[in-house]
Amino acid sequence: MNKKEEKLTSYLLENQSRFYRLAYSYLGSREDALDAVQTAVCRALEKQRELKNEDAVATWFYRILVNICTDQLRRRKRVIFVPPEALDTGSYDDPAPDDSLYRQVNALPPEIQTVVKLRFYEELSLQEIAQVTGWNLNTVKTRLYGGLKKLRVSLEEQL
Amino acid sequence: MKNFDEAKRVYESAEIPAELDSRVRAGMKEGARRARRVRTLRRSLGSAAACLAVLFAGLNLFPTFAAAAADVPVVGGFFQVLTVRSWERTGDGLVVHVDQPAVSAQGSGSEMPELSKKVNQEIRERVDARVAEGEKTVAEYKEAFLATGGTEDEWAEHDNKVTVTYDVESQTEDTVSFVLHTMISTSVGDQQDYYYNLDLKKDRELTLADLLGDDWVNVCNKSIKAQMAASEDPSVYFDASMGGFETVDETTGFYINAAGNPVVVFPRATVAIGAMGQVEFEITK
Repeated sequence: MNKKEEKLTSYLLENQSRFYRLAYSYLGSREDALDAVQTAVCRALEKQRELKNEDAVATWFYRILVNICTDQLRRRKRVIFVPPEALDTGSYDDPAPDDSLYRQVNALPPEIQTVVKLRFYEELSLQEIAQVTGWNLNTVKTRLYGGLKKLRVSLEEQL
Repeated sequence: MKNFDEAKRVYESAEIPAELDSRVRAGMKEGARRARRVRTLRRSLGSAAACLAVLFAGLNLFPTFAAAAADVPVVGGFFQVLTVRSWERTGDGLVVHVDQPAVSAQGSGSEMPELSKKVNQEIRERVDARVAEGEKTVAEYKEAFLATGGTEDEWAEHDNKVTVTYDVESQTEDTVSFVLHTMISTSVGDQQDYYYNLDLKKDRELTLADLLGDDWVNVCNKSIKAQMAASEDPSVYFDASMGGFETVDETTGFYINAAGNPVVVFPRATVAIGAMGQVEFEITK
């Protein structure tokens, strides 16, 4: 194992809980979140040559993980047809803890979820979020404020 | 952002499953293995392929060129496995790369054995079918991606590939063992490999029974179970209740390694967790 691989490996091991939480917040299921994290670390080791700047390992890896989670969400959208009224009656596979804002964030479109989660849960700067997502800073800002607006609207509707 | 403090608390309260650590380690192990495999492949392709590529690129087009190529002396055996079609196409979010092998008889006047004709035909059909399948999969994926809020720019960042390659695992005077790898990778990978173990002298495919004798099923099963139990982390293998390994049969894929031993291969996620990728067991004769 070379030095770079060693560094990457220890970063992934040390931060695994954070990765799991992020994946879980997207996917809402324990098994899917475990699969996503496992796939992401596998891909990270496989593509380690593409990591040019070792200091950027966090944003580089978040990018892999977030892409896997949002792709998975899109795929689900394609195959699962659940009428909205059925959502409240059935039982969830692994219900998310009951909290309105947490849930509402998870109901946002994947791109907006990503910005909100990285900003408020993972406490990344907007610049770092731009690196993770590959969007320019303005797009990140637009999506963040758009997301906040949506959240405020739906929060107000609840009151 | 007082509200987010609460949401963050909920976010951070997600319970961490006990198996997370072993899943992360398994994922890293598989990733490191794949990275090494790519490196080895690059290295081995370097010199040999450079010479061969020029020579065999024209094989399909020019019969006389093919005949001339057949006179090239090749160490070991009167036939060889070589690339008959090699091409790459890039466009619309998809890279298709094909190195299609075929069995070729050596020397002038030697008739192509029936078996190799059949095998070559089969390889051609499989390659064409997999490329078509890959194109269809990617087209459908793109449609779904755009329909669910993805943009063309985001689509362009996707790394979709259809890759067909092969590895010659071993060759003797009379036998050759090679594996045709076909991979359709979108955000998930779909790998299908085909195993060819040919005895060209007898003009037939080799079976595990040919290599291990009449008791081949028991020999394999015993060896595989022992290797699973002795592995670094036996929990990566599914047990019987999870639909794990039970027995080999005529459909089990294998190749013959340089030592002449059969190596049994199970596709991803059939006998072990997905992150292990394909798993291989050498059955010592």
